[in-house]
Amino acid sequence: MSTTENTVAPQQEIIVTGFGGQGIVLAGRIIGMAASLGDNKESTLTQAYGPESRGGACNAQVIISDRPIHYPYVKTPHILVAMSQAGYDKFAELLTKDSILLTDQDLVPTTSAPCPHYEVPATRMAEGLGHKMMANIIMIGFFTAITGAISKKAAQDTVLQSVPKGSEEKNTKAFNKGFDYGVSTLKGKEKRAAGKTGAIAS
Amino acid sequence: MMQPNKSATTMNRPNKIILFLCNWGPHAAFLSLQDEKRDIPEEVLMVRVPCTGRVDRSLLLKAFAMGADGVALVGCSPGTCRYGSGTLIASRNTQDTSKILDLMGIGQERLRFATFLPEQADDLLDFLHVFLNDIKKMGPTTITTSPTGPAPSDQRALPREDVAALIAKYDIHACQDCGKCSSACPLALVGKPFSARGIASAVINNDLYKSDVEENVWSCLTCGLCYERCPSAVNFPDFIKELRHLYRKNTIQGEEAHGGFLHSLMRSMASRDMTPNRWRNLPEDLQIDQESPVLFYGGCAPYFDIFFGKHLDVHTEKILFDGIRLLNFFDVHPRLLGDERCCGHDLLWSGEQKHFGQVARLNVERLNSLGITTMITTCPECYMTFKTTYPSQGLQLNFEVVHLYDFLEQEIDRGAVQFSALDQVITFQDSCRLCRLESRAELPRQLLNRLQPTRFSEMRESGNAAMCCGNTAWTGCDAFSKAMQVKRLQQARETGADLLITSCPKCQIHLRCAMQDPFRGDELQMEMLDLTSVIVKTIQWK
Ligand code: SF4
Ligand code: SF4
Ligand code: SF4
Repeated sequence: MSTTENTVAPQQEIIVTGFGGQGIVLAGRIIGMAASLGDNKESTLTQAYGPESRGGACNAQVIISDRPIHYPYVKTPHILVAMSQAGYDKFAELLTKDSILLTDQDLVPTTSAPCPHYEVPATRMAEGLGHKMMANIIMIGFFTAITGAISKKAAQDTVLQSVPKGSEEKNTKAFNKGFDYGVSTLKGKEKRAAGKTGAIAS
Repeated sequence: MMQPNKSATTMNRPNKIILFLCNWGPHAAFLSLQDEKRDIPEEVLMVRVPCTGRVDRSLLLKAFAMGADGVALVGCSPGTCRYGSGTLIASRNTQDTSKILDLMGIGQERLRFATFLPEQADDLLDFLHVFLNDIKKMGPTTITTSPTGPAPSDQRALPREDVAALIAKYDIHACQDCGKCSSACPLALVGKPFSARGIASAVINNDLYKSDVEENVWSCLTCGLCYERCPSAVNFPDFIKELRHLYRKNTIQGEEAHGGFLHSLMRSMASRDMTPNRWRNLPEDLQIDQESPVLFYGGCAPYFDIFFGKHLDVHTEKILFDGIRLLNFFDVHPRLLGDERCCGHDLLWSGEQKHFGQVARLNVERLNSLGITTMITTCPECYMTFKTTYPSQGLQLNFEVVHLYDFLEQEIDRGAVQFSALDQVITFQDSCRLCRLESRAELPRQLLNRLQPTRFSEMRESGNAAMCCGNTAWTGCDAFSKAMQVKRLQQARETGADLLITSCPKCQIHLRCAMQDPFRGDELQMEMLDLTSVIVKTIQWK
């Protein structure tokens, strides 16, 4: 299967954005920690605080690199993860054709990205699991499968360390759900590209 | 494919050819041979029949099932049939049965149809010698026949200990005579003089040999609706299954539909040396990997298609192909078993525990030797039989048995798959095996709810309360089965649906059968498709 894993650049600049209460900063922290503690890379995390964290737009900026990082702010995101329309609108103009855009499809209805765009109904899936709050963990799973920026094991381990005691099982389930959705999405893309959309040979 | 060693018993017996000979034209020829003391081979056993057109497919197959190595159907030359259509019908019956023999791996050359005029005695003799020669080259068939035990001196006296054991096992004394079973039983509800409770009391009162009780025991659909409702949890389907076994053991014959054709077929599957010859007409687009750890198990659909194809326009083998297509869609390229036998479901449920046991042991031996991890099937009967019945009889399989719907639900739930719009109103016929006996009513519905039809309307009785398609195990089909099917189809039409989705190949066959009623015209007509085929049509990657 062709995940984008083998094409991971030496330095990945990532923006996770959404609104307060979605666990955006936690998502950014898990991605960064997974890269540094799990995958033994360098990583930095900067986050936007202030009124934003109470419901307005909010974001976390993560840089993952094979070398020491000197400047921790993202200028051109390689990956934009948007979990709200406002968040997307704010950063959309930074995207280039080489970026990857990941969105929660129900929360970011309007996009026009110059780059590959992958959608997941993370919040809806979280509701399906009975915990709307875990949309961010589903998104991390999706992110891991699609971008390959962090390894699955590192991501899973970090999720387990970062969530409240007693909720490990639920969160692992959420992570896997997002991850599977990502794998499936890539597979679907590959099939469509090969002209095999349906199950009946045309 | 592994060719099992032929066991000594089948190799050494003398050849036997059954000659069904029409009374009119060719019998005269045969008589001249006898008068002139010509060398009619002693292997040829002649059965004189009034017309070859009356020797139906079940008789032809039964001859093989009872030990014939070759069967010749010899009638009058075209145009000379005394009844007009005999020759034509006989040749059609021969064709169908040949195809089945071929699938069973017995060889279609073992069945021949020929016609002779009264004066063609020499030609008839030649024909018999050539046929015998060919049969000798092929050797005996691989069907082993099991001798039937001597009839008990008094058939009425079913062994009391056996009956008592049955009563104890199913706790029949716990029956409160409340009648809930009868008020749920679809047969009783269409007006058949039938009572589940009545069977229960007959067991207790030693009335099992009474003809009306016997008739009831063979009529029960083992559909499990009564078990759902019974406050004392009397497991009627299982109880009836064992009662039938008890009957058979005491040489009380079952009420086999279609002259016992399908039962002969299934009994033959109990022969160790038989090597069926399946999957040769696989559509080219299907991807198979004979090294795969995942086996796709088809079941009996292709036999049904040959047997019912002409009258009922059934295409149940397509369901199997569509099942494989769906596995392929999700990148599973399954393995297929060329010598796949039947699972034995219908034998077991029509009281043939002995033949079932033989088929099951052969299956376990063969399947366990494959080194597979998973068997996937779309047939609810195969699913239940392998998954639940085999282990319950102490037959352990060394792999997991998975229903295709479970596989699909798991894969589709990962996401990135969607369904194109289905421009029809749909309704759904539950399979009694999957829905009640395996308690999986929710499983097909998870998939149905993912489809994008104009509307999905359940029938008045659905899920655990669903009425069955009117027959199980090809046993006890009568006018009341038909009445049930008519009622069911009316319920389906009542929903406003224009597509009836099924989940068992047999529901397709039995319901299609009821649609043939010429007096009802279009009143019962409805498009039917298996859920697997509907999914194949509409599933797509996002
Ligand atoms: S199993 Fe079905 S047909 Fe048999 S008695 Fe019960 S409800 Fe009636
Ligand atoms: S429902 Fe059960 S308890 Fe009631 S009459 Fe039927 S078998 Fe007996
Ligand atoms: S309903 Fe029709 S196809 Fe089914 S067993 Fe009866 S006669 Fe045969």
